[in-house]
Amino acid sequence: MKPWPRSLLTLIGFLALFGGAAYAQVPGAPPVEFPYTGNRTAVWIVAQLHILFAAFILGAPIFVVISEWLGYRKQDPRYDRLAKEVTKVTVILYSMTALTGGLFIFVLLATYPQFTTWLINHFFMVFAVIYPLLFIGETFVLYTYFYTWDDWKGNKKARHIALGVLLNLIGTITLFVIDGPTSFMNTPVKGEGISPAEFLETATLWDKIYNYTWMPLNVHRLVGNVTFGGFIAGMIAAYMYMSTTKDEERSYYDWMGFVGNLIGVGALLFLPFMGYLLSYELCDYDASICPYMMADQLSMFFEMQGAMIGLIFLASNYYIWMSMKRIQGVEKVRMTILAPIVMVTLPVVMTKVMTDYPVPDPMSLAFLLPMLLSPVIFGRFIPITVSARTIIKVGFLMIVVGDAIWMTPHGFVPTGAKLVAELELPSDWNFLALMPAKNSAAFTLVFVTVVNYVIYNRAISQGTIVWGRIDFVSQFVLIFLAFSAIWTMGLMGAVRSLLRKYFHTYNLMPDFTAESFTPTLSYSAWWITGITVVFFSVVSFAIFVTLRASHPKDHVPEGSPVPAGAK
Amino acid sequence: MGKAIFKIIIGLLVGAGLWVGTMALEFPPVFRWMFFAYAILGTVVFLVLDAPSMKPMNGAKAFGAVLVFYVILCVVYIAGASLWPQYDPEDEKGKIEKLLKAKREASEQGKADELIARVKALDEQAKALAERIKALGGDLAPPVQGTGGPGAPASTAAAGDMLKIGEDQWQLQECYNCHKLKGEGGKKRGPELDNIGSLMSMDDIKQKILDPKSWMTEGFEKEFEKGKMPDKYKDLMEDKDVVALAVWLSTFKNTSVNTPKSIKKK
Repeated sequence: MKPWPRSLLTLIGFLALFGGAAYAQVPGAPPVEFPYTGNRTAVWIVAQLHILFAAFILGAPIFVVISEWLGYRKQDPRYDRLAKEVTKVTVILYSMTALTGGLFIFVLLATYPQFTTWLINHFFMVFAVIYPLLFIGETFVLYTYFYTWDDWKGNKKARHIALGVLLNLIGTITLFVIDGPTSFMNTPVKGEGISPAEFLETATLWDKIYNYTWMPLNVHRLVGNVTFGGFIAGMIAAYMYMSTTKDEERSYYDWMGFVGNLIGVGALLFLPFMGYLLSYELCDYDASICPYMMADQLSMFFEMQGAMIGLIFLASNYYIWMSMKRIQGVEKVRMTILAPIVMVTLPVVMTKVMTDYPVPDPMSLAFLLPMLLSPVIFGRFIPITVSARTIIKVGFLMIVVGDAIWMTPHGFVPTGAKLVAELELPSDWNFLALMPAKNSAAFTLVFVTVVNYVIYNRAISQGTIVWGRIDFVSQFVLIFLAFSAIWTMGLMGAVRSLLRKYFHTYNLMPDFTAESFTPTLSYSAWWITGITVVFFSVVSFAIFVTLRASHPKDHVPEGSPVPAGAK
Repeated sequence: MGKAIFKIIIGLLVGAGLWVGTMALEFPPVFRWMFFAYAILGTVVFLVLDAPSMKPMNGAKAFGAVLVFYVILCVVYIAGASLWPQYDPEDEKGKIEKLLKAKREASEQGKADELIARVKALDEQAKALAERIKALGGDLAPPVQGTGGPGAPASTAAAGDMLKIGEDQWQLQECYNCHKLKGEGGKKRGPELDNIGSLMSMDDIKQKILDPKSWMTEGFEKEFEKGKMPDKYKDLMEDKDVVALAVWLSTFKNTSVNTPKSIKKK
C-alpha cells in the first residue's frame, strides 16, 4: 500500500478516536441497538479486532528489532530481510489498528454511553492526553523507522536499531497505559473495610491504574504479543514459501518460517505461567471469580483452552520434528536416558510436590529444580543414551498425556450446580482436576518442547541443514499455529471480559442491559472464529499487497524498437 | 502400510486398556470415553509423525489448499466448542434480574430524588413570588398549592417468607461455590455449614457476611489471612437480604456434620 492511503487510514483512526472522546462529553445520548448481533456482541467484535491488530503491531517490532540486530551482528542479510518484510506488514496493520480503535470508541459510546462516559471521566488524562500522545509518537517513530531502513545502513545501522528500540519502548508504554483502564474494569481499586465506590472517590489516577491485575495483564499481553508476532511471521513465511517456485526463495522462506516459529514457541513457553499469574491475582482480588472461571459458568471455556493449547504444542513440536528430518546427520544425535525418564515421571512427581507444597511455596522448587536439571547435571555420568528420534517420540506421547491431564474436568457439566455422580470424577481421582495437576501438565508440555529444541540445537551442530527442503506440510503447520494461537487469544480475551459477570466494571458499574449474561461456549466460538477469519483476511491481503508486490517478476528485456510499419 | 496398521492396533489396545482400567476404577462412562479418545489422539499423532511427505504446491492449487484448510479449521473449532456441555444463559438471566433489581431501583430512585429536589426548589420559588405579590398588596395571587414530596406512601413490603428469601440469597450469591450445605456444593474453599446454627447466632453470621475478617474459622486460618471470603457483600446485598440469609443459615443445626468453630476477631 502506498503511503497516502496508509496515512489516510491512520488519520481516520485518529479522527474517530478524538471525535469519540469529544462525543463522550455530550450528555444524555440515547444508546443504539445493533441489529442481529446485539450491542454487547457488536462491541466484542470491534474490540477483539482492534486488540488483534494492536497485538501484532506491538509484538512484531520486538522481534523485528532483535532480528535486525542479529543481522547486523552476524552480518547475515536474511535477518535484515526478515525484519524489513515484517515491518512492511506492520506498517499496513498499524493503520488498521488506528481505524479499528476509533471504531471501537464510537461503537462503545453509541451502545453504552453512560458507562463509557463514566470510564473516560475516570481516566480522562489517559484517554485524552497520554494515550493520544503515545500513539502520535509511535506513528512518527514507526514511519521514520520504516522509511529510513535503506538510508541508515552500514555505519548508520546502529542508529536505525536504536530507533527500533525506541519504537518498542513507546509501544510497550502504550500497552501498559491502556492496560490501566482495561484491568481496572476487572479489578477496580478497593480498600479494606470500605466500599469500592467510596474508595474510588478519593483514588488518584495512579491508584486506578495500579490495580490488582494491571502488571499481570501487562506481562501476559507483552509475552502474548511476541508469541502472536512470531506465529504471524511464520504464517507470512508459509504464504511466501507457497507462492514461489525458486529454490533460493524457498530456502529463505523456509528459514524465516523456522525463525518465526522459534520466536513464537519461545514466548509461548512462558504464556501458561503468565496466564496463571493473572488468574492468581484475579482470584486473590475476589475468590468468587475463581469458581466462576474454573468450576462454574466458564469452566468449559477452559476445557476448550486446554484443547487448543494441546493442539498448539503438538503442532509446534511437529514442526521441530519436520525441521529435524531435513538435517543431514541427525541420526547420529543422542541424549542421556535421564531426559525421557524425567519427561515420563514429571507429571506424577510434580503433581505430588505441588499438592504438598502449593505455589508459591519455595520448597516445591527444592524438589523440582534438581529433577528438571538432572539430565544436564547427571547426564554426563550415566553412559546410557537414547536416539533423538526416540526422545522426540516419547515427548509426543507425554504431550498427549499432559494435555489429557490438563483437560480432565471435575465434572462434565457447564456449571457446578448441575453436577451429578454420573458426570463427576471419582473422589479418589479428584486430584486430576485440581491446580497442582494442571500445573504439572503445563510444565510437561513446556519441558518436552525445551528438550526438543535442545536436541535440534545438537542436531544442527553435528549435521547440515538443507534449507528449502522441509516437508511441504510444514507450511500448513505454520498457518495452523498462527490461526490457532489467535483463536485461543480470542477465547481467553472473551473469558477475561466475561469475568466481570453482570458488571461493566466489576462490583462498581452494573450492566443493566438484557445482554449481561454468560453466553454459551458455542455462541462464543462462532464469533471468535468469525473475528479470526476477518483478521486473517486483512492480514493475508496486507501480506499479498506488500510482499508480493515487492518481488517483481523476472526482468523482461525490453524489445528492440520496432519501426512503425515494420512487418 | 504395515507399520500404520500396527500403530492403529496398538492405539486401539491402549484405548481398550484405558477403558477397562477406568471402568474398574469406577469412572463414569463419559470419562472412559474421554480416555479412549486420548488413546485415539495419540494414535493419530504417531501416524502423522511417520506419514509420507507432502508434494509441494504453488499458484492456484496452493491458494485453494490454504482456503480449504482454513474452512476445515473453522468447522473443527466451532464444532469442537459446541460439543462441550453448554451453559444455559436462561439459568443466569433470572438470577441477574433479581440481583440487580435493587441497584436498578436505586438508580431510578436516584433520578426520582433529583426530580423531587427540582420540584421543591420550584415550590420555594413560587412561594417567594407569592410572598412578594402579597407584599405588593395583591391579594389576587392564587393560593400556592404545595407540590408535596413524591406523594407515594412509604412502601411497606410484606414481610414475606424470610427463610425463602435467605435460601434464594444462598443461590443468588453462589455461596455454594465455596461452602457445602445439605451435601451439595463446596470445594473445600470454605467450611461446611450444616451445623452453623449451633455454633453462631444470626447476628454473628450476619457480621461474618458483612465483614469476613470479623470471624476466623478453625482450619481455615490461611484462607482467613489471605482474605479468601470476598469483602463485597455489604456493597452487593441489601441489609434485609443479609438478615434473611443469616436467619436461614442459623436454622442449620445438624450436629452430625463437623462444621468447624469460628473465633471472633473483631
